[in-house]
Amino acid sequence: MPYKKLHIEVMNRVGYILLESGSRFNKLSITTIRELKRAFTQLEEDEAAHAIVLSGYPGESFAAGADIGQMVHFYPGDALHFSELGQSLFDQIESCAKPVIAALNGITMGGGCDLSMSCDIRIASESLQIGHSGAKLGIITGFCGTHKLPQIVGKNFAREIFMTSEIYTAAEALRMGLVDRVYQHNVFWQEVTAFAERIASHPLTPLSAAKRLINTAVDIDLRSGCLLERETATHINSLQSFLPLI
Amino acid sequence: MPEKLCTIQSRSNGIAIVAIPGSSDTSARELLEAIRRQTSALAGKDDINGLIFTSSEGGFCRCLIESSSSVRDAGELASFGQQVAFSLEKTGKPCITAVEGECSGLGLEIALACDFIVASQTASFGFTGIAAGLIPFCGGSQRLARLVGKSKTKELIYSGDLINAAEAYRIGLINRLYSEGDALTETVKLLEHICTRSPNAIRIGGEIVNAGYDIDLQTACMLERDAFALCFASFDQREGMQAFLDKRTPQFKGE
Repeated sequence: MPYKKLHIEVMNRVGYILLESGSRFNKLSITTIRELKRAFTQLEEDEAAHAIVLSGYPGESFAAGADIGQMVHFYPGDALHFSELGQSLFDQIESCAKPVIAALNGITMGGGCDLSMSCDIRIASESLQIGHSGAKLGIITGFCGTHKLPQIVGKNFAREIFMTSEIYTAAEALRMGLVDRVYQHNVFWQEVTAFAERIASHPLTPLSAAKRLINTAVDIDLRSGCLLERETATHINSLQSFLPLI
Repeated sequence: MPEKLCTIQSRSNGIAIVAIPGSSDTSARELLEAIRRQTSALAGKDDINGLIFTSSEGGFCRCLIESSSSVRDAGELASFGQQVAFSLEKTGKPCITAVEGECSGLGLEIALACDFIVASQTASFGFTGIAAGLIPFCGGSQRLARLVGKSKTKELIYSGDLINAAEAYRIGLINRLYSEGDALTETVKLLEHICTRSPNAIRIGGEIVNAGYDIDLQTACMLERDAFALCFASFDQREGMQAFLDKRTPQFKGE
């Protein structure tokens, strides 16, 4: 089945999911979320891809939240289902065995911000505009943002972002730790592909193990985390000599 | 006059500015009681949409911790202090500490219990009690570690040193850094801006951030999902989204 809201490319061991809704803002409508789920499943199964890049490049937005025209008519039951759908996509991205890089090419608001936070690393163009406009719309986010934003930037910045509903710049996002790297717009895509290709050049087994361990670390205590690391490292590192040299 | 320890300096546009100078001859218990009295009264007022805690010329939250207190007294004080700090997280209204001078000891504890902290260039921060044998007792060690990490927290508590505003900004202890003398006026502007947003969403959002922080992702997301759905039974959601579609400013009611 073809995609309507995005397209997929695989190049130099990197799989690209490029949101392309056809409008200025890539809205996270029900259709887009379903297509994203399908795209992640496809690239996770594709052995030619060792890492995945999610972006709206070369458009103006990465993703700009939910479709308000759709949402304004929601009743609590619809909202619950919508939230479940979004959360299941984010769960899929976090459980995906391959590193996932969010390349934030521009506007990244609301659900788009949450989408980027379910990825492993966020690289932004200096034209980034990021924020959460829920409080301006009379809602909170339903896409795990209330948990993930405080984990990434701390509770105080998270509360400020939610309360003000303001748009933050790339420099502000970098200071808060919301994005990991920022590049000038003219070299942005070149840096994203170079970075993704470097990660994808590494063997997948330790990449997946590291991703799993780090994601788990946030939810468990230090002792259990170290125990898990010991078991995982024993297993992974014993495979080292058998790794194919590709 | 215990009310002088913690006074409502002004109340306009729904914003209460609470000056908490404290005083060098008042006990921590007395000061905490004054803070609790003022804030719980403000929390219950429908015409107050946000709170600012600030210093005045007398300083911020100055108080005395008695050197002769027994283990039992110290335990009771910590238990009461923690209750007060938790109550600040539960006002249901945005609450910001604006610092112009020194914010240390109990002052930093109070500031850490707010939604976030902003300051001017002349501000300084620290837990200075260590030389007198004191460690934080209102939850400050836990809140600071969650905010700036364990290493910085240990550095501050072990050394008892004050850090300046620039350093506080760098490590993320304060969200915004203003020019000298501007902390309060800028904070009023910021809070007025926040108060144009949905009070309902701010209240639910704040509660879910606090509730979800110390628990696992799955459970936190489930809580969030239910709270998200609840927003769709509110006036604020219909109004906020309709206003967005109509390209006009929403008129929220907080219900």
